[in-house]
Amino acid sequence: MTLHVWWDEPADGPCNMAADELLAAEAFDRGTICMRIYGWQPVTVSLGGFQRGVEARAEQSIAGVAIVRRPSGGGAIVHGSDLTYAAAVPKTHPWGGRPQLLYDALHETMRQSLGAFGVEAALWRPAETVVAPAAGDRFFCFDRRSSGDLVVGGPGAADDLGHKVMGSAQRRLAATVLQHGSLLVRRNLDVAPAASHPGLDDLIGGGFPAAAVRPLVTAWIAAVAGALGTEVVEESGRFQDEQLVREKAREFASERWTWRR
Amino acid sequence: MAAAMKFAKSHEWARPEESGLVTVGISAYAVEALTDLVFMQLPEVGRHVKAGESLGEIESVKAVSDVYAPVSGEVVEVNTALPGALETLGRDPYGSGWLVRLRPADAADMAALLDQPAYDALVKSQPH
Repeated sequence: MTLHVWWDEPADGPCNMAADELLAAEAFDRGTICMRIYGWQPVTVSLGGFQRGVEARAEQSIAGVAIVRRPSGGGAIVHGSDLTYAAAVPKTHPWGGRPQLLYDALHETMRQSLGAFGVEAALWRPAETVVAPAAGDRFFCFDRRSSGDLVVGGPGAADDLGHKVMGSAQRRLAATVLQHGSLLVRRNLDVAPAASHPGLDDLIGGGFPAAAVRPLVTAWIAAVAGALGTEVVEESGRFQDEQLVREKAREFASERWTWRR
Repeated sequence: MAAAMKFAKSHEWARPEESGLVTVGISAYAVEALTDLVFMQLPEVGRHVKAGESLGEIESVKAVSDVYAPVSGEVVEVNTALPGALETLGRDPYGSGWLVRLRPADAADMAALLDQPAYDALVKSQPH
């Protein structure tokens, strides 16, 4: 059992969602964990699988920004200054059972990796004394908290909530689990302040340089492999044939899908 | 729990009724594993589904999951109260937490499902 990783060039929302759906099929075919690391061009807001379209249209802070709907759950994310990943595992994989397994595994390994870069982060857990923002009543993912979210302290952070710097959500398919996640590297200045959440570079004393992101992710992937006791296979080239991705992307670009709710 | 209830490997249950219909729901294990449920989309009455096809979708705080038809048939009744009262699934997954009633297309579909001991063994084998 190996960990296969693709580093993809930035793409638009529909192509990224299409590639991730193909990644889930790849994980099933290979019978092991597959990951894709990627960016977005242009800046895009991804909506959670069942977020209301009317709320997205009413959110002035993202007016004019490209929108795509993810197949996974959770809240809206502004992509462009984050590091996005997709991880897919067969349901028979050790992390393919309860949703929290894969969520915690990838966030805990990122916590460890951030620690090696001098960033102290924690996996947020709800305490009885803390009333977390309810799951469905905040539009943006980074305004929500759920168990296992990766948080750091910093100016403006409520003591019990911290600043969320990494969140993930899943689509549980018939035979595989597809998890999307986003590590916020820095504030996105292409959107209004209400949609622009502080990232590592804004929260860490001395900042978090862009040049450190790839080494961080490389360390994270090694930590994921270490947790599984397996080896990393870094695949060369882009994940999947571009034409195949573009054909599949039509569904994710359709009005029917984007405004399904 | 009715003795005749059977289960799909994807964690749906199916219970034949005296009327000839099959009531469908999702197991207590699946409800508990998904944690906090926030949204559910069920099919419309009159839709025909094949065993293994998506019957609807359910969203929890962390995941969107398909609900699969355990048997083939026509949707003849939908628990329309459920999406507005998802806590019912946690309280009574095998009773008032039912999802749909199907008019089965093929009686043999039930035979292909797991009985309670086999389903219990499947749940025990799941990664924790």
